[in-house]
Amino acid sequence: MSSVPSSPSNRVRIVVATSVMLTFISYWRAAAIVLNDLASSAFYACGIAEQAVGKSAPWFIVGVMLFSFAVRAVYVESCSMFVRGGVYRVVKEALGGTLAKLSVSALMFDYILTGPISGVSAGQYIAGLINDILATADVHGWIPRAVHNLFNGTPHVSVNETSVVFALAVTVYYWWENIKGIHESSEKALRVMQITTVMVVILLGWSAITLMKGGYQSVPLPTPENLHFSKESLGFLRHSFPEDGLAKMFGLLGILIAFGHSVLAMSGEESLAQVNREIAHPKLKNLKRAAIVIAIYSFVFTGLSALLAVMLIPDAVRVPVYKDNLIAGLAMYMWGPHLLRLIFRGFVVVVGFLILSGAVNTAIIGSNGVLNRVSEDGVLADWFRFPHRKYGTSHRIINMVVILQIFTILASRGDVYVLGEAYAFGVIWSFTFNSLAMLVLRFRYKGERGWKVPPNITIAGYEIPLGLASVFLVLLSIALVNLATKSVATVAGISFSVVFFLIFSVSERVNLKKHALAKAQMKDHFQLLQRDTVERESLSIRAGNILVPVRDYNTLTHLRWALERFETRDQDVVVMSARVSRFGAAAYDLSPEQIFSDYEQTLFTRAVSVAESFGKKVSLLVVPAGDVWAAIVQTANNLDSSAVVTGESSKMTPQEQAFSLGRAWEGLPEPKRQFVLQVVHADSQVDTFRIGPHSPSMKDEDVLLLHRLWLNITREQGLDKLHHHEILREALTRFARDFGARDREDILKELRRATLESPREAGPDAPVVRRESADGPRTGGDD
Amino acid sequence: MNLVVIVVVRLLEGMFVIGGIGSVAVLILSGIEDFRTLFGREDENHS
Repeated sequence: MSSVPSSPSNRVRIVVATSVMLTFISYWRAAAIVLNDLASSAFYACGIAEQAVGKSAPWFIVGVMLFSFAVRAVYVESCSMFVRGGVYRVVKEALGGTLAKLSVSALMFDYILTGPISGVSAGQYIAGLINDILATADVHGWIPRAVHNLFNGTPHVSVNETSVVFALAVTVYYWWENIKGIHESSEKALRVMQITTVMVVILLGWSAITLMKGGYQSVPLPTPENLHFSKESLGFLRHSFPEDGLAKMFGLLGILIAFGHSVLAMSGEESLAQVNREIAHPKLKNLKRAAIVIAIYSFVFTGLSALLAVMLIPDAVRVPVYKDNLIAGLAMYMWGPHLLRLIFRGFVVVVGFLILSGAVNTAIIGSNGVLNRVSEDGVLADWFRFPHRKYGTSHRIINMVVILQIFTILASRGDVYVLGEAYAFGVIWSFTFNSLAMLVLRFRYKGERGWKVPPNITIAGYEIPLGLASVFLVLLSIALVNLATKSVATVAGISFSVVFFLIFSVSERVNLKKHALAKAQMKDHFQLLQRDTVERESLSIRAGNILVPVRDYNTLTHLRWALERFETRDQDVVVMSARVSRFGAAAYDLSPEQIFSDYEQTLFTRAVSVAESFGKKVSLLVVPAGDVWAAIVQTANNLDSSAVVTGESSKMTPQEQAFSLGRAWEGLPEPKRQFVLQVVHADSQVDTFRIGPHSPSMKDEDVLLLHRLWLNITREQGLDKLHHHEILREALTRFARDFGARDREDILKELRRATLESPREAGPDAPVVRRESADGPRTGGDD
Repeated sequence: MNLVVIVVVRLLEGMFVIGGIGSVAVLILSGIEDFRTLFGREDENHS
């Protein structure tokens, strides 16, 4: 494109849809996603708190879980506001640029630490189980003498070293999954929570029986005299006030310190804001329902398991042996036979592994999402967001996050307490900044707001947000006390935040100059037209158009193929780019300038060049989306497209692409129309699939069998005019009858055998997908 | 020095107590709303 400024009429029009095309989820699924993060802290929070403040720690965990109901209300209010621009822009509007950058730095510290603490904690549970199994085997004499001698006693693994190795393995595994761009489904989160719920029910029920049968020890009340701070838990104060003198001197301060050491029990609450936009209609009501489920579940699981651990596990072993795998310890001190307890402990470890390793993935996804948003906000250099050549993911951000996580895991040497203390820094400061931003926005933001944290009183026409201010005061007081009592966290957290703050500040300066130039160029060549939703009439696109999704500006073979084949005078060609913003990045909507970034500018410049080389005109469209397949089918449906032409995927076969598109099509609400998917290979070979209900493709032998039946039946008297399709209908009706009745299992068995005998080329066919010949949909008569 | 420490500590304690009382109010009021939400008697418009 030339650098000569174009007149507005010559500029290429690009329609930017600003409403994200999402696949909506129920409040149960939303709650499951949040609980995968929030409930995982039950596995380590109480152990850390008891090491810091003593045996009365469970009361503080219960207090924190009650307080989390109030924090949850702040997040519900923030979700009910309709704002565009990402976390940084929203906090900047409320608190200014410096505090916004600090706020994002604290949030990043929180997200990055989630991975190491979850991975190491899962490793602690696994290593603890291995050691207990080895000890049990040794007692029964099942360990060979030579192995016994090798370890100079009972064989065992080093708990901390094993935890480090496990955490590294899980982190590297999820690093590769994220590089490939494979994201976790809400279905999986729901399954994990269902299994966790089974464990919680058994845990609580069995604990109740144990309390009745075997008695319990009382948990000291949360009073200053019952607080026993360790040296580490007083942080910087231990130098001035040895032996927890200060805490006891002031009384209430001790309670505040103890509260600060328990605050990480509510980590993960911020995930509520991330899933908010994917919650189905009625959004606010479902958001509240999800929040209630989350709060009650985490209160019951985290709060009660903390109390039960102290009530049932003897003091002699609780901290020395089970401090880092307290729920496993609880399983071992239930009433009943040892073998049953060991089996239940195994189940606890499996659940811990599922939920904690899931949290490692959530940490990578969340960090990637936040940094992507920060980059879109212009506070992180665009270099970080450059897509992976093969997989199209923001691999540089993922690499940076994972390197920081691996460094943290190695530096911690598997010490959950140190990680927990550091983690609490990120958790409390991100909550504090968020509540402060919400408090300030009560006065500055005059836009749509669905709900407000109660109570609010109005004096002389001014509304005073008493509830919001109260939550902020508690969070701020804890955050400030934590600065003094968590020395490792303060040093690590401040160092991390300063480094990120500097990166953000330098990036912002560089981006300001660069973006000013890019903005001027964009104004010369492109005209951005903002539309809330994608509608064919408002975009002036004719029905039966061809939709061409593009992602990588180096691979536009399929666009060339479409322009070669279709005459744009008869059929519009719509070039579409889906701007994917998944979980972790979905707290706020994007502004049009953020959706149409540098990358889209380059992509569309190339696309327009390709169209110009054919002397044809294309329509350009950018849509933000939660899932790229859902975005394509929704756009194709809204635009009444007759075909979608896409390129080869580096991570999926054409069949798998068609399968994913078919699945997304099934999720579309009615009315929906069929279309053809054409996957163009690099060598211009094409695979064609029909998306939507259609007649299935039949193998030659099936057609032959049908024909033979037709020949035989038409010989019968009065059936000489029978059609093939009537035989098929009769056969299918009989099949449906048998399948619905007694032969169901036999039929399934036969079908499974048939599937094994004739393996698919690549993956199963989706029920709404049909693969066809390279030249387009196959046509032809029946009889 | 001691006076500064005492003032800071008392200030933090005050913030915590006032905030705590207000948070209990948040807990009760939002709990009543939660009850209505769960049993479907909630009004659509709040603020």
